[in-house]
Amino acid sequence: MAALPKRIIKETERLVSDPVPGITAEPHEDNLRYFQVTIEGPQQSPYENGVFQLELFLPDDYPMEAPKVRFLTKIYHPNIDRLGRICLDVLKNNWSPALQIRTVLLSVQALLASPNPNDPLANDVAEEWIKHEDTAIAKAKEWTKLYAKPTQDEEPAKE
Amino acid sequence: MSKVPRSFRLLEELEKGEKGLGPESCSYGLSDSDDITMTKWNGTILGPPHSNHENRIYSVLIECGPSYPDEPPKVKFVSKINLPCVNSTTGEVVKEKFHTLKEWKRSYTMETVLLELRKEMATPSNKKLLQPQEGTTFE
Repeated sequence: MAALPKRIIKETERLVSDPVPGITAEPHEDNLRYFQVTIEGPQQSPYENGVFQLELFLPDDYPMEAPKVRFLTKIYHPNIDRLGRICLDVLKNNWSPALQIRTVLLSVQALLASPNPNDPLANDVAEEWIKHEDTAIAKAKEWTKLYAKPTQDEEPAKE
Repeated sequence: MSKVPRSFRLLEELEKGEKGLGPESCSYGLSDSDDITMTKWNGTILGPPHSNHENRIYSVLIECGPSYPDEPPKVKFVSKINLPCVNSTTGEVVKEKFHTLKEWKRSYTMETVLLELRKEMATPSNKKLLQPQEGTTFE
């Protein structure tokens, strides 16, 4: 396998040494382009107190091509579909090589704080979000409680 | 080339299948669109022309296990078919008798499997094999 580009090594080091609050990203030992990610649900959002598992992969052409990101935890959100695929501009047309893994994950976290039902990926969820926002938010909260539990064996956060 | 992880590989295949970007002679999609592990898939193969399979549509089940695509998927015919590499009782494609599964490569996809099965139906020794009645299925 080809050596890992310097850029990826640097980004990985910084993710560990200077982590983004509420976000973890760790490469798999056998594939350093493949990251296991967790994102905490933003405060005052329906996803508050949830910890969401994601996976991220840096394709061969990264950073010319955007990282690939997917939710592994079930989530009720108008821009995330049932397979965990995410509709987010920076992962598609608005990707720029100046962005990084950390900026992408921050954008995903921001998407949790502000769902955008007018540009939906999960149409049924978006429709509910527009027509009955209260019900939709209640359901998002319920799913967060059901599926986005913090893992038991996780180390307590260091102060 | 870096190693694309299982799930992103399957998402690529799903997208290709959903958009119908592949050849017209086969198709595939997730059996359960809610299955976040993307394990079970339905496929179809259009019988090749100039064979006893002409104009028939064969349904198959494809199972991509946790080690896919390092390991080949499991493939099973739903529609009855008479083919040497297919178990005549269960409909399972026998790995040892089907080169694509036997000599599996990571670059192969579900589409490769379906297209190669279709070629298998059209080989000189297989194309004239007597076939079960159309529309019948394995148990």
